[in-house]
Amino acid sequence: MRALALLIVALSAMPCFAGAATEPEVTVTLNATPNEAQVGDPVRLEVRVRARGGNIEDLQLRDLKKHLELEIVSHQTMRPMQFSFGFGSGVQKESSIANIYVLVPRAAGTYEFSPAVARVDGKTYRSEPLTLVIRPNGSNAIDPSDPASAPDGSSGGDLSGARYDSRAFLRTVVEPTEVYLGQQVDIKVYLYTRIRLSPQSVVPSKPAMDGFWVHDDPITSLQFETVSVKGQQYRAYPIQRSAAFPQRSGKLAVGAPKIAFDAGSGNFFDAPQRIERVGVPVTVRVKPLPPPVPANAVVGNYAIEARLDRQTVKTGDAVTLRVDAGGVGNVNDLRIDLPPIAGVRVLQPAIRDQRRLTNGQLSGTRSWEWILIAESPGEHRVPPIVLHFFDPETEAYETARTTALSFTATGATKPPEPTIKPVDTPRKPSTATFGPIRVYSALTRDRMPIRERGWFGWLLALPPVLFALVWLGAAVSRQRGQRGTTSGAIQRRLLREAESALQADDPRAFYDRIVASITHALDTRLNESVAGLPHTQLLARLSAEGFDEDLKQRLINELEGADFARFAASGVNRDEMERCLQRTTAIVERIQRAKSAG
Amino acid sequence: MRISFIAVVVVATLFGHATAFAQRAPQRTSGSSLRELFEWANVAASRGDHANAIAGYRKLIEAGVHDPDVYFNLGTSFAQSGDYPRAILNYERALLLRPNETKASENLRDAEKALEEQRAELEGEATIQRSSSISDAAYGNVSEDALAYALLLANWVFFLALAAVSTGRRKHRFIYALLLGAGAVLLVAALGLATKAGLLRDGPRVVTLEDRVVLREGPDPRARLRGEARGGDRGELVGRDGDFVKLQLVSGLEGWTTASGVGLIDLDHDRH
Repeated sequence: MRALALLIVALSAMPCFAGAATEPEVTVTLNATPNEAQVGDPVRLEVRVRARGGNIEDLQLRDLKKHLELEIVSHQTMRPMQFSFGFGSGVQKESSIANIYVLVPRAAGTYEFSPAVARVDGKTYRSEPLTLVIRPNGSNAIDPSDPASAPDGSSGGDLSGARYDSRAFLRTVVEPTEVYLGQQVDIKVYLYTRIRLSPQSVVPSKPAMDGFWVHDDPITSLQFETVSVKGQQYRAYPIQRSAAFPQRSGKLAVGAPKIAFDAGSGNFFDAPQRIERVGVPVTVRVKPLPPPVPANAVVGNYAIEARLDRQTVKTGDAVTLRVDAGGVGNVNDLRIDLPPIAGVRVLQPAIRDQRRLTNGQLSGTRSWEWILIAESPGEHRVPPIVLHFFDPETEAYETARTTALSFTATGATKPPEPTIKPVDTPRKPSTATFGPIRVYSALTRDRMPIRERGWFGWLLALPPVLFALVWLGAAVSRQRGQRGTTSGAIQRRLLREAESALQADDPRAFYDRIVASITHALDTRLNESVAGLPHTQLLARLSAEGFDEDLKQRLINELEGADFARFAASGVNRDEMERCLQRTTAIVERIQRAKSAG
Repeated sequence: MRISFIAVVVVATLFGHATAFAQRAPQRTSGSSLRELFEWANVAASRGDHANAIAGYRKLIEAGVHDPDVYFNLGTSFAQSGDYPRAILNYERALLLRPNETKASENLRDAEKALEEQRAELEGEATIQRSSSISDAAYGNVSEDALAYALLLANWVFFLALAAVSTGRRKHRFIYALLLGAGAVLLVAALGLATKAGLLRDGPRVVTLEDRVVLREGPDPRARLRGEARGGDRGELVGRDGDFVKLQLVSGLEGWTTASGVGLIDLDHDRH
């Protein structure tokens, strides 16, 4: 630990000795990019001081504020610092300050900048002076309306497919822009740039190409060619090359390409600047093939040939018919229908494609392999196979055809085998052992799953139905039980019990039910129990509830009479009890009516 | 309590009758000619005459015999003759009828492996698209009829327990446990039966039989090619138009092809 601490202290002290021993190396620069520009075009002005072995104290560009016609639209300051270690020279510190301005000139003229001044360790250092020439709009070579050069360097091209930008822009080149359905369209996307770019940072996005079948020619490394656009030298990088084949007629759009990349001067102290650009969409007009269109006609120029792998087979065996159609165009569009051959069973073909892009032109070969099984003996003739194609060069239909082929099947007609054995795929015997076969079987017939049998649904539905019935019955029963406990039911039950006591000639029980009946009617009406109230309080309570005097009097008289009769039951005759029951019934009804009125 | 007793008696009576009816329903063998045909096919198979053995087993199937042993023998004859896609088809059918049979499962795996080896030998690599749904894996070893009986039983127990809980005065913990257990079995059995019946699929299951089955965009031999299925690939039949059928492979690829190139696993549909 102690050794490490000493080392750190020693390293920290080294710059002091080094600084004391050597003079700092200082560089002050003042640059403008470009030096000549138009009014309104942005100009990048960079003031930089770089010092090796000294401390930068100040950096000034005094004339910047003097030129009011140069509008400062952005200002960025960077202060990177670097330490380097070397034997003998100790620790060296390299630092810099950079002020980067983006200026937009508002007036033409020549702007002189006196040298930028930097102070390092108390000493003053100066850059070279700078002259910036700003021309009025339309007066110089950078004229947006000027024709631009094509990527191949030939002058006189235009800037179709591009949104011009003085620093970098994307351009989509589509050739031709008017084609027939299925004809190849070359689509190339170029990045035009005057900015030094970092190839590793380039991230292009492919344009949308809906309605096209696309074969890409991959770009593995960024190569550029120098072209002149509007009098300026640009590097034109191809970032995408594709051969596209329209799949429908009408107007098809090649979408706008996008790109993002880092720009930098290559200097260690410059932070990379991320630049993004978007191109413009380009429209391709697709014409349908001129009528009459032959069956399965494609666009291109093809040759076709066919061959059989053998000329003689046993009846029931197979021969392979191979047809190769090759040429210029999109082989993916090729269709061939093999005409039916009498006495021959034709299996579905195996199809293989090979494509290649040569000098931007897509060509290829499509191969079909049919397996033909001779089902009857004799000579079988494969008729010529025809391929129609439309050559856009001559704008005419042409036809390629194979020669007629034949093969001979010998031997008796074989019964059709249940299995199909392709002749070109010899089977390798498997090491797996299958079997043994089963010698006993129930030979079950007419198997019908349980779920499809009629009783299954009924048995499945029965429990919920039964449960619903049981639940319904229980609910009805509960409702009936509840009905017996309602107020009216109790009232009726008490009067019935009084009548039963009358019939049984039981005065005590009779008057007991009479009192209970009237008390229950009052309880229900007043929503409180009146059983224990003295009659005076009961009268006051009834008055408060609005009972009329006659009802109150009758009610009190009946209660008092019943109370008396309960305890002197022997003096009560049956007639009196019947009248009492009638009066009580009338009183209860009046109490109930008073309830409904209240 | 009285209601519960009556319900139990009714259920027991109905269930007893139903079970007896269910046992009577499948028609068991059959005339002596079918037995002779089966034995004749077995003799051909044991002699290595696979063509005649296959023809014999196929006649049995055409005569209405749908027995797992017949499908097993047919699959074995196809496998021994090297026609692995058709072997796969018939082993699948045997397993559909008798799901928990070990030997048929082993033979099915062996046929798939042999097909892959054969194809890899010719083409460098090979993959067979197998069905991989969770429900198939979960219920693969249970027969559809067993699930149907489990569903019925659980249904009855569940609703009896529910009735006891709803109407009974004394509610034992046992009743609640029975209710929960029966409910769980009911759900599992219903899901399994739905899976077996194909309600969770888009169509009946199929196996492609030809080495290369071309899938087209429409039911027409001139329609554009959409892709290709290989022999032994599994899928579902999701459409039919004349002699064409629309397949949806396990990989998700869909397309039309001729019906002769595929075989239906599910026996409720046409047999190949």
